[in-house]
This record gives sequence, structure tokens and C-alpha cells, in this order.
Amino acid sequence: MTLPSPEILLQLSINGALGGAMYGVAAVGLSLIFGTMRLIFLAQGAMIILAAYLVRALFQHLGIDPFLSLIIMVPVGLAAGWLIYQGLFRKAAAEEDRNISLLIAVGVMFLVQNLMTVIWGGNTAAVVTSYTASGIELLGVRASFTRSMGFLIALAGTALVVLFLRRTLVGKAVRAASEDMTAATLMGISPHKVNAIAFAIGIALAGAAGVAVATTFPFNPFAGFIFSLKALVALALGGIGNVAGALAGGIILGLIEAYVQFFISGGWTNAIAYGVFLAVLMFKPEGLFSRPYKKA
Amino acid sequence: MANRLLEVTDLEVAYGDVRALWGVSIHVDAGSVVAIVGANGAGKTTLLKAISGLVPAKRGEIKLSGTSLLGRAPEDIARMGIAHVPEGRGLFRQMTVLENLELGAFQPKARANMKHALEKAYDLFPRLKERTGQKAGSLSGGEQQMLAIARATMSEPSLLILDEPSIGLSPLVVQQMFQLIEALHKQGVTILLVEQNIHQALKIADYAFVLKTGELAMQGTGAELIADPEVQKAYMGVLEL
Amino acid sequence: MTAMANFSWKWAAALLTIILALVPFWPGALDSYLFSFLFFVFIYAVMAQGWNLVAGFGGQISLGSHAFFGLGAYTTAILWSGNYLWGSLYETYPRIYYFDPVTMVLSGLVAALAAALIGLPLLSKLRGDYFALGTLGFGEILKVIFVNGGDFTGGAFGLVTPSSTFETLMPHYWTGLGLTAGTALAIGWLMRSRYGLALIAVRDDEMAASANGINTLKVKVAAFAGSAFIAGIAGSLYSYYIFHVGPDSVFNLDWMLLPLMMTVVGGTGTVLGPILGAFIMYAVFDIARIFVPDYHPIISGLTIILAMLFLPKGLVRKILPMSLARN
Repeated sequence: MTLPSPEILLQLSINGALGGAMYGVAAVGLSLIFGTMRLIFLAQGAMIILAAYLVRALFQHLGIDPFLSLIIMVPVGLAAGWLIYQGLFRKAAAEEDRNISLLIAVGVMFLVQNLMTVIWGGNTAAVVTSYTASGIELLGVRASFTRSMGFLIALAGTALVVLFLRRTLVGKAVRAASEDMTAATLMGISPHKVNAIAFAIGIALAGAAGVAVATTFPFNPFAGFIFSLKALVALALGGIGNVAGALAGGIILGLIEAYVQFFISGGWTNAIAYGVFLAVLMFKPEGLFSRPYKKA
Repeated sequence: MANRLLEVTDLEVAYGDVRALWGVSIHVDAGSVVAIVGANGAGKTTLLKAISGLVPAKRGEIKLSGTSLLGRAPEDIARMGIAHVPEGRGLFRQMTVLENLELGAFQPKARANMKHALEKAYDLFPRLKERTGQKAGSLSGGEQQMLAIARATMSEPSLLILDEPSIGLSPLVVQQMFQLIEALHKQGVTILLVEQNIHQALKIADYAFVLKTGELAMQGTGAELIADPEVQKAYMGVLEL
Repeated sequence: MTAMANFSWKWAAALLTIILALVPFWPGALDSYLFSFLFFVFIYAVMAQGWNLVAGFGGQISLGSHAFFGLGAYTTAILWSGNYLWGSLYETYPRIYYFDPVTMVLSGLVAALAAALIGLPLLSKLRGDYFALGTLGFGEILKVIFVNGGDFTGGAFGLVTPSSTFETLMPHYWTGLGLTAGTALAIGWLMRSRYGLALIAVRDDEMAASANGINTLKVKVAAFAGSAFIAGIAGSLYSYYIFHVGPDSVFNLDWMLLPLMMTVVGGTGTVLGPILGAFIMYAVFDIARIFVPDYHPIISGLTIILAMLFLPKGLVRKILPMSLARN
């Protein structure tokens, strides 16, 4: 086998990175929710697809440009996340048995998936705009316009979350609660508040990711679960609890998928992606980016 | 009667079927240092946890300035003015010294005063100022304990609870720790202290309670207990005489 | 008093088992809806019991039951369609693989072996959350491997076994019932044994268990492998029912999610909970499927959420005397 030209490699990398950022932004949401609640929110992918359908509905019925709908989706996501926590998870969060929260997440996933099927049918949907086919060309390499926008959304969303966590006192409280909930309560931090904040931001990110997904991929009501799984892989690659790492993990996963698809075969993409996931969980469970932590 | 800040009456606490406290009554007067001493497993830490709401009380009453604390969540109790430095210090090890201190002033009441409280804390613990940007987990054991206490003072609590501040520290650092506690006391902070280092604790305490297997065995001023032959025999070893 | 209650409950369970075993002799029962309904309840009850062993009693949340179910189903289908086990005997006795205990046990063993292999690294290094994620990933990897397995696994279509061997559902029914009762008895007995006490000690406080000389890794891996063995046998039984083992059907996530849900609704960490949960939840799903086919997954989703909000400790602990529910 001859090595492909540098252009092809670059093209592969760009496609992989742009696609992987979608997993990354989903993983950032999972990371936040996992951080404070120790809950694997399996319904995150379904929420993203739901957001994609809403973006499509706004576009088709009200003529709102998909990227413009971000200013609706993000606040709606914040509110929805807050309500989902208060209505569904608040009670379970106080229970020691974390199965309960996990199963509620599974129930939400079933419910959302099938509500979408009932409302919009089970067929594949897509959002096609005047700029869907356009691209940006640079140095002989082409990047799809919508995917580049999706990448920017993922980057900006993650950056905002990181800024919130590092620069604001409430954000610091969320980090503190993720590290040690008991100690956090002794500071006067309410577990329900930080959990609700994590959920609100997580679902707001799902809203933003919905915009990116709607404009770049065809989607159907059941695509969400695979999306959740991929986000979990990204989360593990980046190190559970490392928000910026989650985005990077998503991009790495996208790259792996693109290379495997090109050099081996499309049929093995998932097995290799999950294989890397298992290997990381087994041999480097703190994630790829963790520095060895010196204990005092 | 002196100004009773904290009043615990007939407190019973159980973990499942295992009872840890059997009707313990203690009190802390405003402005004083009160020590709770006793052997391992006497229920000292459980008593502190019940006060700050980390474990539920089965029976009895806990009052802070006359208001009952029973059934309240730990975060509410923290907001009412109790700062608890728990066993194991409870630092956010991945966060910086400064961030830990800021979180100490998380409660709305304390937030407004954060700058002033930070200056005060850095004055009292100059070492922490040098390490302000360092992760808490990278500090030495003594520095970590200082940080935990400094963080607790950030909310300017009416009652500061310290669970074994001297544990795991070298003798020299233990000396410094007790000097700090005295310094805080002089600033008017009310302190409830659990210690294994009984001699030191009784020396700085205005009043002390001795717990034995979940029950109150003795109480008195620090000086009284230090002089008590039973306490000497049971807890301090005759050699220390 | 409790001994009396225990005693009569045991007799009630035995009596119910006997009545259920006699159901096939009822005229017309074999063609009834109830019959296949009960068969599926049995399969799910066995799967739920297996998950309960590692998650309920062992405290390790596995999200990979479907992987072991699929492995068991495939092992049976591969051994049979490729005639890897009985050689020339297969020509003389064309039905030799059908409900062959050796094939069924091997199917369980393959699943158990796979569980031990991935369980060792996953359970030795990781906190529980990583174990859950790792087992979930394992199921997805297996699915892709079997899709890409060529003639050996039949690719994306899967393998077909000789459906001409089918005469009646009776062996399925009795095997299912036997496995349901057998796993319940075995796990009930196991949890009273030294091993069971060790498993519960590890679940409740791993540090303390380890300090008391329990090899916690060994105990956890054994529970995981045991649960995979049970799932593998259930998969084998299913392949005798379906005669077509394909990656999308036997590695379907429902084989993990439904048993998990049933166990939690019935009561995790109890022996009767998984059976009760399987019966009730399968009935709810099936009724929804029959009467409101378009909305049945919505109703399923709602049922899970409502059950978790209002019955987080499971039904068994609500309706049975405590002494019994605890075991």
C-alpha cells in the first residue's frame, strides 16, 4: 500500500476533527453532569437529536436560519435542563443507589426517542439550506462550511463552559462539588443547586450541538443512543471530569474514525473506536491528558 | 449564665443499627474554646457531624443561639454560621489555594466581605499567600491543615468546628497549629475542637468534655481536667506527669 | 414467626412452580398467547437474575448483559450450524444439538470466560463508573466483531439453524421455567454461603472487606463471570426459539436495558425481585404493545421513570415481609 498524499491526510484530519467536535460537545455536557451527580446521562444523545428536530422545525415552519436559532436553543436548553433536574432527578440524586438516576436517564431516552418518532416519524431527516453544500477551500483542502460552523460552535461552547467553571464563584462551586460533595456542602453549597446548574448547562450544550448536528448530518430519532455512546468514548479519552479534555477526546475519536474508515474499512470503525475506549479505561482510566498527580 | 452559642441536649445518633452516641449533652459559650476529648471510637467525630448536619440525629436537640439545627441540610447549617473543618480536611485538592479560600466565602452573606476576609486570612497564614496559585493537593500536610482552617474562617463563622487539626502533623507543626488556634481565639472566634492530643487540647480549652464509648464521661474547665487524676491515668499516661 | 412466614412463602413458590410446569398440559395452552408470554417472562427473569448477581448483590453496575446474551446465542448457533461438537453423530441424530445440555453449558461458559477476561482488568483498576462504561463498550465491540466475522458468524445477517427440529414450544417453556427456578434457588443458596457473604461485604465496604482478608477482585470477577454464565445460557435458549441469530437481534441493547429495569423495579439485591419485575414489566410492555402499538415505547419510558420516582427500592421490599425480601 502506498502512503496517500499529504493533501489526503490533511483532508482526512480536517473531516475527522470537524466531525469529532460533535462528539466532543456532547461529551462536555456528559462530563459536567457526571461531575456533580456521578450519573452517566445516557439520554444526552437523544436530547441532541431532539434539539436537531426543533432546529429543523424552526427552520421549516418559521424560516429561522439554523445558526440563528442558537439564540433560542441555548436558553431553552438551560431552562429545560433545570426543569429536568428539578422534576426528574432531584429526588433520585439524594439516594445512595445511583442505579435509580441511571434508569431515569434510560427512561428519558426511551421517552424522547419515541416521542420524536410519533411526532416526526422514524425516517431520516435533514436540514438543507442554501449554504449546505458550500465549503471553504484552503491549500487544496476543502472544509465544509456547515461542519466548520459546527466545529466553532463546539469550540465556543466548551470555552464558555471552561470560563464559567474557572472564573465565576458559582462555576468554582460546581468544580468543588464534583471533587467532594460533602466538603462542598460544608461551604454552604447546595447539592441541588450545583446539580441543577450542571444539568442546565449540559442540556444547553445539547441544544447547541443540535444546531451543529442538524446542519451537518442526516439524523433520525434513534441516532441519539450511538451519539451518547460516542460521547462516552470521548469522555473516557479526555478523562472523566476534565471538561476541555472531553472536547479534545471527541476530536481524537473523530480522527480515529476518519483514519480507520479510510485505511481499514468503514465496518470496523465502531469496533476500533470502542476498542480504544476499552484500552483507555483499562490502562489509563484518568484519560489521555492527565499528568501524574503528586500527592503531598 | 454566659452567652450560650451552641447547646446540644441528650443527643442520640445511630448508623443503621449501630448506635454511636447515647444521649450526649454539651454546650459552647460564645467566645470560648471548647475541647472534646476521648479515645478512638468514642463518638467525637460523630458528634461534630451531627452538629453540622452530616449525620441525622435520632433523638435530642441541637440549638445554635436558640435556633434548632435538627433536620436541616449541612449547607443550611453552614449558612447559619457554623464552619466545620472535617476529618481529612475536605480540601478541594485539584483547585488552587486561592480558589479554596474563595469557596470558603461562598455563602451570600460572606461573599460581599470576601476581599477583607482574604486579607485577614493571608495575614494570619502568610505561607498560604506565597502558595496562592498552587493546587491544594500539592501542599504539605501542615499547609493543607492551615488552608482548611483558613478556608473555614473566610465566612467569619460564629462557631468554628475543628476535627483533629493536629492529626498527621509533625510535633513542630502541631505547636504552630495550637498557636494559631489561640490566635483565632484571641480574635474572638468561638471554637469547638476535637483532639487526640489531649494534653495540648486541654491546655488551650476554656472548657472540655470527655467522651467515652458514645457517652459523656466527664466535663470541666481545661485546667480542672488536666489536674484530674482519672483523666491523667486514662488518657495522658502517667509519664506525662 | 418469621420462620413460619418464610416456610409458607417457600411452599407457595414451590406450588406456583408446579402449577406453571403443568400449564402446557392444559388443553389449548400451547397455542395460547399466555404460553409464549410466559416463555419470554422466563428468559427475562433469568437475565434479570444474572444482572442482579453482579449489580444487586455485587454492587458493580454492568451495562454489558447483552454482550453475554449474544455470545451465548452465537455460541449455540455456531456450534450447531458448523457442527463443531458432535461430528458424525450429528448425521445419525439430526436433533442432537437441539436443547443439548452440553451446547447450552458451553454457551454459558464462553460468556463466562469472556466476562472473566474483560472483568479482570476492568474490575482491578477501575472505580464502578468505569466498569459500567467499559462493559457497555464491550457489547458494542462484540457486535461489530460478529458483523465482520465472515462465514464463521454469518456477517450482518447472522446464522440460521435448522428450524425443522422445531415441534413444540414445550421444551422452551420448561427449560425457561427450570432456569428461572434454578437460578433463583442457586443464587438464594449462594448468597447464604461464605462466598455470598463475602460478595455483600465487598459491595457494602470494599476497604473493610479487603482488610478482613477477602480477595475483593476475585469475588467481584467471580460474580461478573457467574452473571455472564447465566446470560449466556439464556442466549442459548433464545437461539433455540428464534433459529436465526443475528448481530442486531441478540446484541440488541434491550437485552441489557430491560433486565436491568425489571430488576430495579422488582427490587435489586433480592432473589424474588428480578422474577417479579420481569413478570410485571414484561406484562406492561406487552399490554402497551398490543393495545397502543404506536405509543408503547413511550409508555415503557414513562413506566421506568415513574417506577424510579415512586418505587426506588423495588416492589419486593414493598409487598413482602422484610426478612424474606432481604434474601
